Amino acid sequence: MSEKRGKHIAIYGKGGIGKSTTTSNISAALAEAGYRVIQIGCDPKSDSTTILRGGNDLPTVLDTLREQSRVRIEDISAIGFGGVLCIEAGGPVPGVGCAGRGINAAIELLQELKVFEEYKPDFVLYDVLGDVVCGGFAVPIRDGIADRAFVVTSSDFMAIFAANNLFKAINKYAPSGGARLGGVIANSIQHPYSQPLIDDFAVQADVPVIGYVPRSITVAQSELFGKTVIEALPESEQAGVYRNLARHIDENLDSVIPKPLNGPELKKWARTWGDRILAVETGVVQKMESI
Amino acid sequence: MSNHIDGSRNSCALHGALLVIEAIDGAVPVIHSNAGCGFHYFLGLNRLNAGGDAFGGPPVSSSNISEKHVVFGGSSRLREQLKNTIKVVEADLYFIVSGCSTEMVGDDIPAMTKEGREQDFPVIYANTPGFRGDVHQGYQIAAKALVEQLPELLREKRPRAQGVVNLWGIIPHQDPFWAGNLEQIGRLMEGIGLKPNLLLGYGQDLDGWHRVPDAELNIVVSIWGETTAALLEERYGTPAITLGGLPVGAAAGRMLRAVSDKLGLEAERTERFIQAEESRLNRHLGAFADTYYRAGFQRDFALVGESAQVVGLSEFLTYTLGMVPRTLVITDNPSGEAKSTLHSSLSALVEGWGAELFFDEDHAAISALVRSGGAGLVLGSALEEAVADELGVPFLQVSFPLSGRVVLNRGYAGYQGATALLEDLGSLILSHALNVEVSSPASLCRTETVYHS
Repeated sequence: MSEKRGKHIAIYGKGGIGKSTTTSNISAALAEAGYRVIQIGCDPKSDSTTILRGGNDLPTVLDTLREQSRVRIEDISAIGFGGVLCIEAGGPVPGVGCAGRGINAAIELLQELKVFEEYKPDFVLYDVLGDVVCGGFAVPIRDGIADRAFVVTSSDFMAIFAANNLFKAINKYAPSGGARLGGVIANSIQHPYSQPLIDDFAVQADVPVIGYVPRSITVAQSELFGKTVIEALPESEQAGVYRNLARHIDENLDSVIPKPLNGPELKKWARTWGDRILAVETGVVQKMESI
Repeated sequence: MSNHIDGSRNSCALHGALLVIEAIDGAVPVIHSNAGCGFHYFLGLNRLNAGGDAFGGPPVSSSNISEKHVVFGGSSRLREQLKNTIKVVEADLYFIVSGCSTEMVGDDIPAMTKEGREQDFPVIYANTPGFRGDVHQGYQIAAKALVEQLPELLREKRPRAQGVVNLWGIIPHQDPFWAGNLEQIGRLMEGIGLKPNLLLGYGQDLDGWHRVPDAELNIVVSIWGETTAALLEERYGTPAITLGGLPVGAAAGRMLRAVSDKLGLEAERTERFIQAEESRLNRHLGAFADTYYRAGFQRDFALVGESAQVVGLSEFLTYTLGMVPRTLVITDNPSGEAKSTLHSSLSALVEGWGAELFFDEDHAAISALVRSGGAGLVLGSALEEAVADELGVPFLQVSFPLSGRVVLNRGYAGYQGATALLEDLGSLILSHALNVEVSSPASLCRTETVYHS
């Protein structure tokens, strides 16, 4: 079973951080390299796979489950760029019901439908929304679903905070067979302090950073065309960044159990960076290494 | 470390609320939860304790939500269920109670209640997920919802009733003798010229609940009535008297004097009534005296039950019947504060007779306590029958759950309740003594051995 199962990867990160863009580009790069890929959006917004599918509508698993008693794989999936099988779990409207339970139900249905056995993917990528606010959002990293989790973060404190929360969840579930952390993907690198800040956080939590994605106009451009960078601008430098990430995920199977910072530690750490960033922004002249 | 509870006698908050609603004539519960909640209620509570309420048991109305309602919200399912219930059953009150799943999801139950009311239907609600507590908290939550929301349904001002006293803290079926106990206490209140507001049981409808604010006094029989009494004191300034246990025999006299004092009733009339009641009970005790000595009635006892029963019954058994308390087990999970109150109200028994007082709801643990205490008589729930058999002593079922015993209107509260308890205990001990004599050839053999040697 395990060889047919493929590698299951969960990608987490604060909302609006570029998680879906990163995941979709990694899926596209893996597909381009000849792998069979499934990308599952685990977010009630259900826009994880949009740029893999040219922006077309795709009925979500939960909407379909609500409307019809018998659900077939064809009803809830679409083939996107490079043959990536795109699925959106979907969820309730804001303020109603339980999105966490929704993720649980959607993943259960996919297992019941034997999506993985039938499609025989090499990779399954779960793009999970925002913060790990409750048990439902930790479903993809629990035993028997994803093998490895990656976290996308920018150098914003709230994004770091969300990443730290994911570390806490992994720390809880990994010892009982849940996913371990593959590493941190540093996204939206645009300030001189962005990379050292994320690096420093990674050192504190004892986790590897597997790649740095610079903020780039090519991403925005491609998204406006409803495409991944890999598809729209395959020769661009940015496409190369995503290919490197995909290669790392494919070839490097190392994983760790992170050491999350507790609340006061995280605040204390953030304060030290607050001083350093202020120095940069107010034009204090100092050596690059000291930043 | 968490422990498991073996054979708990305390069901969940939703069930506690259902027990209240089903004991009010004209009130119809609408459960907003998944299917098992209502049925488990029937299996766990009604069927064990005779049931027999007008609307309840398996045909209870329930939204029976499924996974899609959990994910997308179940409020619209509740709206539909409320509408359907109103179509099928005519009621004076539709009472929505919620279970765990709908509360976890945060369904907007107040909004659905409001919708019902805007269409002129009498609807109230209570949030009663099991994680809010057990059957006792359910009783409290339901009573609070009734006290707080019923005035909102009342259209015209009603004339204030005089001499009304409300009775709180007797939970239907959780006290298997609830109906009889309420009636007995009610009878005593009538005896000193008051109008008892029993609120639950035969003939108790919403009219009584609307009269709750009119009351001059709240009588709190068990610790579970205290929050409602506090709420009523806060809202309406109504004073309360806390009994701390069932008033059995002489304790009924103390209760009547306290109530009479508090309300400034004519003391002579109260005393006359108490005397008449007491002399009748004394007459029964006198008539029983011969049997008492002949059967060797006095013995050590173990008593397992809710706090109100343990306090009320043990006092009567010890002080009036001259029995010796050995092991007292309180099963209704009182809070820390309530525990210390119970400790002090039972301290005379514990210190004077060397009895041991325990708080536990685990079947195995309770059996072990009774076993090691080694009593000559066991009073408890059906769950204690096995350990009484092991000890080879008479056993009387007095607390939930009962099995193989039908209780319709019997109560152990008041003077007549004391007589009923005397009858039950007397018959039990006599028949047990008889059984041992007839069915124990071993004792005959022993006699022979003694003779030959």
